[in-house]
Amino acid sequence: MFDWKNELNRKGHRIAISGQPIAMHCHHYNINLQKTLEDNMGEAGVDLLYRSVEETIYLGLSNLFKQYPKIKTLNSKLEMISLLYQNCGLGILHFQSVRPNKALVLSPSSHHVTGWLAKHGRRDTPGCHFARGWIAGALEAAYRHPVGYFSVVESQCKMSRDRECLFSVAKAEK
Amino acid sequence: MAIDGSKIIHAIMEGSKIRESKGIIPIFGVYLSLFSVEYYNRLSFSFMHKMGAPQKETSEKLLIEAAQECGYATFQGIRNSWEWDQIVVPMIETREDQIFGFTAVAVAFGWGDLEVKKIVPGKKMILRANDSYEATGYLEQYGFSDSGKCYMLRGVSGAFMDLIYGKEYPEGLFNFTAQEPLCRAKGDTYCEFLVTKSPNSCQV
Repeated sequence: MFDWKNELNRKGHRIAISGQPIAMHCHHYNINLQKTLEDNMGEAGVDLLYRSVEETIYLGLSNLFKQYPKIKTLNSKLEMISLLYQNCGLGILHFQSVRPNKALVLSPSSHHVTGWLAKHGRRDTPGCHFARGWIAGALEAAYRHPVGYFSVVESQCKMSRDRECLFSVAKAEK
Repeated sequence: MAIDGSKIIHAIMEGSKIRESKGIIPIFGVYLSLFSVEYYNRLSFSFMHKMGAPQKETSEKLLIEAAQECGYATFQGIRNSWEWDQIVVPMIETREDQIFGFTAVAVAFGWGDLEVKKIVPGKKMILRANDSYEATGYLEQYGFSDSGKCYMLRGVSGAFMDLIYGKEYPEGLFNFTAQEPLCRAKGDTYCEFLVTKSPNSCQV
């Protein structure tokens, strides 16, 4: 089965998780990238960040599910998705009431929230675009839907004074 | 050179497997995340593309500055961390050794096979990468470019010199500027970063 500590490997200067090349970056870089996109592109920058995460995690998880064919029920896939998120240092995701066309996801802590608050303090609008994209791509991979099938909205965000981040997943309107 | 990079790599690989209950990786004074290099490349190169050709210079500058500011804060945190004190400080003999230590951390983070080729104290540094994930990603996605594409490494190279030879933290940011005269994305054999004093920076 999926053993996290065996999945993170280094060969020389290259690091991989389950064979997929990764890099370690800290909150300074991740938050700077987000702020650069938001400040210079507005909503288009937010969308670019969301889509980049969505497409990347979709491909990564689709490959991972192929490598682990025994992980085939929705619950076991959701467990793997949460485990991956946590072990990548991205935070905690609790999937709740997941149905084929909708879901609620709670996040009591995240790298981006911790990083944003440390660098910039509270903000007035929800800011977990990375997590939104991650949830969308992960659920699309779990259900074998195409990229863009789901849309994810963050209705509560710890970056803007809420206790937890709350994400609503629904089928995207065409 | 007294810095043993393998000790730093080992510490980071072991440390990055330890998480607190909130799913956060606090190590070397920063919060670390592990994610696909494809994401970072998509973000940077799509940003450049969407900003458009007339804005190329501005967009490049934004990405490089984002990385330099990050590198400046990150490596300041790193050199003030418990782990740095325990693992790296005992190996440091000269001021320049800190740059070798920073470079080993960057290699450990998976940013490329970085190697310091030359340091002229207070004036200049040349850093080389035979395999930067940015150049590799650009080549795979777009083919050859007419300019350097390693924006993150370019900014971080500048930050290394800012921290060692710039004004005291936090006043030294952008005291140095990095160029990338050679880049594999342009067809060069390796990527090379030349860091010199910024044109308007005061004597430090």
